[in-house]
Amino acid sequence: MASMAVVTRRAMGTDTTTATEARPIGDALARLRLLQLVSPTLPIGGFTCSQGLEYAVEAGWVGDMEDLNDWLVGLAEDNLAHLEVPLLARLYRACQRGDVAALGRWGDYLLATRETRELRQEEQRRAAALTRLLMDLGIPRAIPWRRALETCQTAPYALAAAHWKIPLTDAALGYAWSWLENRMAAAIKLIPLGQTDGQRLLLRLAERLPAVLETGLALPDDRIGASSPLAALASSLHETQYTRLFRN
Amino acid sequence: MHRTQAVETVRFSAACQRPSGGRDACPGPQLAAAAPAATGRRWAAGLGLGFRPSGGKTVLAHRRRYGPLAVQRPFYPEGGVCHVYLLHPPGGLVGGDLLEIHTHLATHSHALVTTPGATKFYRSAGAMAQQTQRLEVADGATLEWLPRENIFFPGAQAALCTRVELQGRARLALWETHCLGRPVIGEAFDAGRVDTRLELYRDGVPLLLERLRVDARSRLWRSRLDGRAVTATALFSHAGDHHLRLARDCIGTPGNGIAAATRVEDLLLLRYLGDSAEEAQDLFAKTWSALREPLLNRPATSPRIWNT
Repeated sequence: MASMAVVTRRAMGTDTTTATEARPIGDALARLRLLQLVSPTLPIGGFTCSQGLEYAVEAGWVGDMEDLNDWLVGLAEDNLAHLEVPLLARLYRACQRGDVAALGRWGDYLLATRETRELRQEEQRRAAALTRLLMDLGIPRAIPWRRALETCQTAPYALAAAHWKIPLTDAALGYAWSWLENRMAAAIKLIPLGQTDGQRLLLRLAERLPAVLETGLALPDDRIGASSPLAALASSLHETQYTRLFRN
Repeated sequence: MHRTQAVETVRFSAACQRPSGGRDACPGPQLAAAAPAATGRRWAAGLGLGFRPSGGKTVLAHRRRYGPLAVQRPFYPEGGVCHVYLLHPPGGLVGGDLLEIHTHLATHSHALVTTPGATKFYRSAGAMAQQTQRLEVADGATLEWLPRENIFFPGAQAALCTRVELQGRARLALWETHCLGRPVIGEAFDAGRVDTRLELYRDGVPLLLERLRVDARSRLWRSRLDGRAVTATALFSHAGDHHLRLARDCIGTPGNGIAAATRVEDLLLLRYLGDSAEEAQDLFAKTWSALREPLLNRPATSPRIWNT
């Protein structure tokens, strides 16, 4: 939990210098790998999906910055904290142990929590794209573990993080950030929102992520699980939406 | 005494446990141990039902129970399908109550289970009321699990878990409706906690895992539920795109609620979010009527009790 304390302090905007200097330069390469893994230039198509937000905007459920804040806080504190982060932790540990059966099992589990056809297609398409990339980059277990990795995008993400020795806390932080950044990119186009307002909201929402990660990384098995009925309906209705900017 | 015996024979402890063990678990596994010790005003109830085919129809071959949970005598309004009404005489659960239902359908059996009234979860001083349902459907069997809504009174503390285990070509039609507070009389769910889980497995592989947590103290559930009181899910197995179109036609223009259908693999999912449990149940019944013949090869004959 020492590294989580660092995360918290940095996110709260205090003690930044000390926290940064306290990290040995030795793991700089792991941090650089993390930046590469969560970069929008990673060719796995993160910007092609709105996860129901396109319909939510069309229907008037999300119309301005405050609505978007509530929408994203709801998803972060429920889905991220109670589903994606704890599952990332289990997938990551399965990769570290070389336990491909557990990797596939938790991968199937995460896919089964995706509530609509669009959300599952997105999950599987991005999982396949990232797995393909890891195979092309020569990451040793990508080929033999392919079936387990292609269940959900979190599985190959976990393998890459474990392979590049990115600590779990950092991997989870990067995952949460990437999720938030992708949602914001979609929202800026859809609502639409000014670029500066988008940055303002990112500052605000990022302050919630350390607590989300702390909850998610400590969550026991029997508390895992989250659903967002409104987002699920938005995603279902997006499947038949007449004009669309986003594939899903 | 009677209660203790029932617990041992029905093996309720298996309810809602993962087959592989350890991966995840509903609050269920502790229930069997807790049930015989229940004292005072709190009570536990359990019901075990076993269906199997016999002489051209499905019979309720096993029935075990403890506490005030029961079934009426099965009846046969449409030939071989066994229709059963679940009864829960005290009418509701309070904090600390435990209610377990375990249903097993043997190969080629076909049962339709419903409830005559809503299941009510009343205000609790702190203890959780728990309901776990484990529904096992063997290869080639068909389960239609079509209960009335659950109503959570303001101040209720409730944990519900419904776990369905399908084997091979088992078929399923199921719905669940949750009503937070009593919107009919303008009573909001302004206190309490609800944790509901709906889990569907086929041959041990998860097909759908839903979990909705509502804490009245948090404003989050308002953003995830649009401030609505009623959330409901219906699912139908063995569905194709044709069935998805039929379901979407049934939705048409809903009243004040939001409804939508999607299909994941062969599972047709119909969801509702609004302020009327009746509206949700009407939509589900209408869709079930449209889909029963194409999916289950039987014309829909609504249980008479739905009309009362």
